[in-house]
Amino acid sequence: MTESPGSQPGFEEEALPHLDAVYRFALRLSSSPDEAEDLVQETFLRAFKSWDQYTRGTKAKSWLFTICRNVYLRRHERTQRHDEIVSETIGQSGPGQNQVNPVWVSVLGVDPESDFFESIVDERIIDAIGDLPEEYRTAVVLSDLEGLPYAEIAELMEVPVGTVKSRLFRGRRQLQKVLYEYAVEMGYIPAGAGTDVSA
Amino acid sequence: MSFLDRLRGLFGGTAANGGPQMISCDDALKLVHEYLDGELENVSQAEVEAHFDACQRCYPHLRLERSFRQAVRRVASRETAPPELAARLRELIAEVGSEG
Repeated sequence: MTESPGSQPGFEEEALPHLDAVYRFALRLSSSPDEAEDLVQETFLRAFKSWDQYTRGTKAKSWLFTICRNVYLRRHERTQRHDEIVSETIGQSGPGQNQVNPVWVSVLGVDPESDFFESIVDERIIDAIGDLPEEYRTAVVLSDLEGLPYAEIAELMEVPVGTVKSRLFRGRRQLQKVLYEYAVEMGYIPAGAGTDVSA
Repeated sequence: MSFLDRLRGLFGGTAANGGPQMISCDDALKLVHEYLDGELENVSQAEVEAHFDACQRCYPHLRLERSFRQAVRRVASRETAPPELAARLRELIAEVGSEG
C-alpha cells in the first residue's frame, strides 16, 4: 500500500518550520552553501524516518540541530582537528577568571559605546564564526544566533552545562578579539592605546 | 534607583541600608553572560540589572556584550534557506513517505 507524506503526522507542522534555523546552523558548521544544503537534506530525511522517536510537542528545533551536528561530525570525523579544544585543559581562562574583557579595555576611550561591532559587515562576522573551533562555534551559534537555553545546548552537545558556559565564554571572547582586530585594521576604530587583547 | 545608590555604584559599593545587598563588580562581571542569556541561577535579573544600572565601571562591559550579540544576531536574521532547498526537501520527503 502506498503511503503519503502524511504518514508521519505532525512532521510538516513541527519540523519543517525550523528549516531556516537548521540551514543557518548547517551553514555555520560546513564550509560551503552546497555542503550546508546537503547537510540540511540529510538532517530532515533522517528526522522524517525517525519521527516516531520524537515526542510531539517537545523540542523539535533542538532535536533537528542534534541530528544535523551528528551528521556533520560523522562526515568530518576523519578530518576533525583534535587540537581545537586544548584550551579547555587546566589553567586556561573561563568564566570566573579574567572577568575584565580585554576588548573592552582596548575600546575604552576610543569607542565607549562599543558601536564598532555595528560597522562590521555580515561576511566578516560569518567568517570569524567559521574560524572558531567546532565546539565553541556550535555553542555560540546555538546560543547567540538561535537563542537556545544552556540546558538544551548541553543536551545537544552531550556535555555538562558548565562546559557549555565555558565554551560560550571562550568562543565569545575569541570572536570579539577577531572582530575588534578587524575593526582596527579597517579603520573603524583607532587601536586602543597600549592595550593587548590577547589575554 | 536612588541617587545615593547610583553614587555607591560608581565606587562598587552596596545598596542603601535595609535594602538587598548589591552584588559586587567582580560578581556582576562574572554574571554578565548569564544575565544577558536569562540564565541566572542564584541571583535575580533585577539584582544584576541594578548593579549595571548604577556602576559606571561595569556598565560599559554590559554594553560591549550587548552590542556584540546584536551584531551576531543581525547575521542570523538575514539568512534563510533557499526556496529551491525547501521545495526539494518537500519532494524528497514525499518520495520517502510514499516508499513506506
